[in-house]
Amino acid sequence: MNIKLVGGAALGLATVLVLSSCGSGGSGGSGGDDQASGGGQVTLKMVAADYGSGPGKPDSGENFWKGVVDEFQAANPNIKVDVQVINWNDIDKQVATMIQNGQVPDILQTGGYSGFVNDSLLYKVDEVLSPEVSGDMLQKFSDFGKVDGTAYGIPFVSSARALFYNKDLFEKAGIAEPPKTWDELKADAEKLKKAGVTQPFGLPLGQEEAQAESFLWMLGNGGGYQDASGKWAINSPQNVETFTYMKGLVEAGLTTPNPGTKDRKTVWEDFGAGKVGMVNGGPMSIPIFDAAGLKNYGVAPIPGKAGPLDTTLGVMDWIMAFNKNGHAAEIKKFFDFFYTGSAAQKISDTYKLLPVTNGGIKKLEGDEKLKPFLDALPNASFYPFTDPKWEAVSAQVKQTIGGAVSDDPAKVLGDLQKTAEAAG
Amino acid sequence: MRRLRALEPLAWVGPAVVLIAVVVLWPVIEMIRSSFLKISRFGIVQGSNGAANYEKLFGEKDFADIMVRSVIWVVAVVALTVLISLALAQLFNQRFPLRKVARWALIAPWAASVLMTAIIFKWMLDPEVGVINQIRLKLGLIDAMGGAAADQLGNASTAMPWLVFVAVFVSVPFTTYALLAGLSTISADVYEAAKMDGAGRLRTYWSITLPLLRPALTVAALINVMNVFNSFPIIWAMTHGQPGYSTATSTILMFILKSSDIGESAAMSVVNFGMVIVLTAIFLKVSRWNKEVA
Repeated sequence: MNIKLVGGAALGLATVLVLSSCGSGGSGGSGGDDQASGGGQVTLKMVAADYGSGPGKPDSGENFWKGVVDEFQAANPNIKVDVQVINWNDIDKQVATMIQNGQVPDILQTGGYSGFVNDSLLYKVDEVLSPEVSGDMLQKFSDFGKVDGTAYGIPFVSSARALFYNKDLFEKAGIAEPPKTWDELKADAEKLKKAGVTQPFGLPLGQEEAQAESFLWMLGNGGGYQDASGKWAINSPQNVETFTYMKGLVEAGLTTPNPGTKDRKTVWEDFGAGKVGMVNGGPMSIPIFDAAGLKNYGVAPIPGKAGPLDTTLGVMDWIMAFNKNGHAAEIKKFFDFFYTGSAAQKISDTYKLLPVTNGGIKKLEGDEKLKPFLDALPNASFYPFTDPKWEAVSAQVKQTIGGAVSDDPAKVLGDLQKTAEAAG
Repeated sequence: MRRLRALEPLAWVGPAVVLIAVVVLWPVIEMIRSSFLKISRFGIVQGSNGAANYEKLFGEKDFADIMVRSVIWVVAVVALTVLISLALAQLFNQRFPLRKVARWALIAPWAASVLMTAIIFKWMLDPEVGVINQIRLKLGLIDAMGGAAADQLGNASTAMPWLVFVAVFVSVPFTTYALLAGLSTISADVYEAAKMDGAGRLRTYWSITLPLLRPALTVAALINVMNVFNSFPIIWAMTHGQPGYSTATSTILMFILKSSDIGESAAMSVVNFGMVIVLTAIFLKVSRWNKEVA
């Protein structure tokens, strides 16, 4: 019997170990350096993140980039572009491996650029992008591509938020227009509640993206994660007031129940199912609403305390050029082709992402559903993602900020402020 | 030649030793080493961090609560699992029509992926459309769908019992089968002897069945203790440990820390590992596993 037990214990122990060393597999290698070969032919190696629903799907990154590259190569027979598409979960790790092994790509398109600046791996933006293109970029966006005044990152695509409202439910509750202020929002929510809507305002403050929903509310009262001087100000009087107001909504039963445990995906699906009167969403939520069969909804600027927001939460991804293999001239041709041709618009159309150039915004202005996003985009506000502590703060916000609308707002925000000041 | 013969056992145990070294020992060493390093978010080691990871971990506001909750979680889930499985094993050891079907049916929760089971329960508990809430509505336990009353997973005091329920639900099949196997090894002669001596049913169960079942019971419970302590998918899929950290166990905390501080997360893993060993030791002590059956 003892032997059996030891066997069982060993098996159990092995299980424990496998489970507790929550490691992730290594990344596959990638091809070697593609240096310029004879005859003036240059191969650019590019690594890009996948905005689509995965390999093999019609909207996969491979398909998208193949279309772009074919067109580019037809116009520039001397330049070959070799694109490797990697999913979002693995791209950081795989790129880190490539760089550590000296297999640096020429072009990288992903969620951040600043990690590569310190090691002098990147071309400056003006070495690889024409002045006409960089001049057309939204100023607020391209400013974030600068480190110590020099631009390294080029904004690639962006996303923004606005208020979605269910027109059928609004009509049923006798509301003519979407709310512009917090007072109107509360009054409308009460009307919706009376009309039998279970979640007048969809409020996802759970793990998935609490940091976004919170930020949109903070903006409504002139607050934010940091103050104008870049100091953490999570428990500023404005933010405490904001969350006290939200807590009032929650306690009156005007929101999603227990917001601190609800993911945005669930709430968006509930909105799509006609259970939610209004919710903050983005272009990326439109396919979810469509899939759920909701058609009659409107999009409006997000209400603030005194009036609608003239800003919104902006999120952007980046494209950058590495200097290891030379090729600046060829990269410049490719970037100019991407931003001035049809490619930038195609990526907006395919993936419901927003453009980062004034020209791109103009091309989309006819779309009524996108208009509130495009209007707010040039004046967007951003997470303090250049602050090295942001990741730690964001993780903590995701877990605990829901408590600010169920417990004491000042205490919960104060604890987050402490995390921000202590994180290292 | 003789020397070669002496080395022969090594050829037999060698592969197993190598396997244990690579799959078991090396990760442990690596885990302990990581817990003393400063590691960037992208996984790049930035040098030694001394005991700072541990200091930060023990300084976390919710750390003590989470550790206490982890122990309660393990004790509650394992105790309920074992009690229910003892009864079920006894039942399935009887002869009754369709016993085969019933035994097969019990495998279902075991065969299904734990993550899938957890997600299905989360859907059934959905405040807007969940079937459990529709039943509660029909029974008059709640007034309407969609409100806070229908949102049992949104509140720690109602979420925790559901998490325990799902954990027991997925642990019972294995435990029952382990006990069933144990029951079938008890020879009929012993029961006959007890009957001759005039022992009643309860007395027989207490003095014959349970002691003879102890080896199987110990193994089943021990594996459950370790499994439940490290259980991640149920809590993560159903509540993410929220609201706040109020339904999180140490395994959940480890995963959350991984996204902000890998070194601290490694420290949590080491503490977790230590906890499993301590829990196991206590369990073995209490169950007097190495004492021969009296």
